[in-house]
Amino acid sequence: MSQCKCENPLVPSVVTVLKIVEETSDIKTFHVSTKDGKKPFTPMPGQLGMFSLLTVGEGMFSVTAQGENHLEFAIKKCGMLTDALHEIKPGQMMGVRGPYGNGFPLDLCKGKDMLFIGGGIGLAPVRSLIKYCFEQREDFGKIDIIYGARSMNDLCFKEDLFENWPKERDTNVHVTVDSGDENCPCHIGFVPAFLEEINPNPQGKIVVLCGPPIMIKFCLQSLTKMGFTDEQVITTLEMRMKCGIGKCGRCSIGSKYVCLDGPVFTMAELKHLPNEF
Amino acid sequence: MKTIAKSRINEALAILAKESKLLVPMKVNGISKYAPWGSEGTIQFEEVNTLLPPKDTLFPHTEKMYSYKIANQEITELNIHDDSAPQILFGVRPCDMQSIKCMDDVFLTKSYVDDFYKNKREKLITICIGCTKTAPTCFCDSMGVDPSRHEAADVQMYDLGDSYGIEAQTEAGQTVVNKLQELMEDQAGDPTAVSCTLKVDASGIPAKLSTMFEHPIWKEISRKCIGCGTCTYLCPTCYCFDMETTNNGNEGYRFRCWDSCMFSEYSRMAGGHNPRPSKNERIRNRFLHKLEFFNERYGKNLCVGCGRCIAKCPVNVDITLFIDKLKEVAADEPV
Repeated sequence: MSQCKCENPLVPSVVTVLKIVEETSDIKTFHVSTKDGKKPFTPMPGQLGMFSLLTVGEGMFSVTAQGENHLEFAIKKCGMLTDALHEIKPGQMMGVRGPYGNGFPLDLCKGKDMLFIGGGIGLAPVRSLIKYCFEQREDFGKIDIIYGARSMNDLCFKEDLFENWPKERDTNVHVTVDSGDENCPCHIGFVPAFLEEINPNPQGKIVVLCGPPIMIKFCLQSLTKMGFTDEQVITTLEMRMKCGIGKCGRCSIGSKYVCLDGPVFTMAELKHLPNEF
Repeated sequence: MKTIAKSRINEALAILAKESKLLVPMKVNGISKYAPWGSEGTIQFEEVNTLLPPKDTLFPHTEKMYSYKIANQEITELNIHDDSAPQILFGVRPCDMQSIKCMDDVFLTKSYVDDFYKNKREKLITICIGCTKTAPTCFCDSMGVDPSRHEAADVQMYDLGDSYGIEAQTEAGQTVVNKLQELMEDQAGDPTAVSCTLKVDASGIPAKLSTMFEHPIWKEISRKCIGCGTCTYLCPTCYCFDMETTNNGNEGYRFRCWDSCMFSEYSRMAGGHNPRPSKNERIRNRFLHKLEFFNERYGKNLCVGCGRCIAKCPVNVDITLFIDKLKEVAADEPV
């Protein structure tokens, strides 16, 4: 995993917002770069960045994608900092520090078929690995992406879902919405039921699962029924974080810190931790 | 053994205070704590441990981290704050010395070094004094600490009645002791061995606790907790912190300050979900952190047996009674 190499890992460096993409009414993706146009750091898929408006505060977000010279954070409006973030305009200067956390276990995934299951904003961290798989396409087998949101208007990353990803070879993108009318261009229904309908074969497959707790709970039940083991299922956790370097204490689960030892865990690893998430 | 007569201790302190900020145990406005030598208050070398732990020497209650300036939407300044300076912690007790070892594990190991802590730690000299008496709430020897000395201190002192025995234990400690050469005598001295009257059997506790996450004991012991956080503020090893911003127009600074896992907001996420919604989960987390989780991560208990939480908890939540109770209950049985 790559580590934060800032002068001081608790102090951000200054970045500029290049572009803001409005994904849904409450989710925006922010593209940021350093003042001299460089990428602030190079995270591995699934790693985190502490993103800050200096006058308001900091929050930990997954880095949803990166380019040659920029990082992308997809952020849902749900609190003091994220409300303020949703009001900024391109050109705004901000702070960012990272990368933090372990990221997805690439060695475990390489050579396998991949099944990505995301719900709502839960696609944001998963997207970093999906994009990595497409960049290193030879290293992975068949790719299935199941993604659901409340309605058509709540789907994030529509360009990826409907244009970019379906064009990739050996890739199936399955999109569902909880509710919609007869003109709805995609499947209607909850993610766990859709998953059972698709009924993927567990053989040689790794599942990456991220979404609201209720979706995770029912997807896990379905996956178990289909014969997936806990070692095959990976998820990425959310906890309140302040320092990002395993010191301040609040994202602990048992003897682990989500910011440092996570946020990515296999279900097998989670079963060894106290049931507190 | 090298000794300094108690009658000459002020001369020794004057020498030590020349080049460093010298912190000594004092009673200031009725509160015993480590305060700069020479400040108003009564020096307390003959007492047991201080009410306030010395943790703010390395980990201040509130600590400025960096300041910033913004002009025309541009961040024009971002300056890291470093107020570390040479400090001597004089007369620190073995329990508190052990707590510094715990904090060293947290702030200096496991992937990241915390520079704010490290800068202060590198400039700190610890002069430990062995206890010759204990408070009714002291139980350090049950937690693996020797009340008469601590091997991690730079200098170890022993109370020999009319004089203090002095032994340097590190190179930095030797440098300090050398400065006191002219005050020292050679004298035969046998430090008094002391033991705590409050005893608890902590053997096997981490392993037993690892099977008790869902045990009804948590509900029972948290019943009287009022969530005041006194235990965490007085605890010499509680290190959780918050980070916040103070903004004033176009400039401000970010600081960190002590936080408490006993508070409901501590783990509450944006959007409202809280993994530890009630005092049951919060007390469970605190005790498991002290006696199981820290052990798993760093190989030692996060309780040093100083007894401050027992002495000052307003509703008598007592970690030693909790350990006693743990011994009695079967891991998989209701209380």
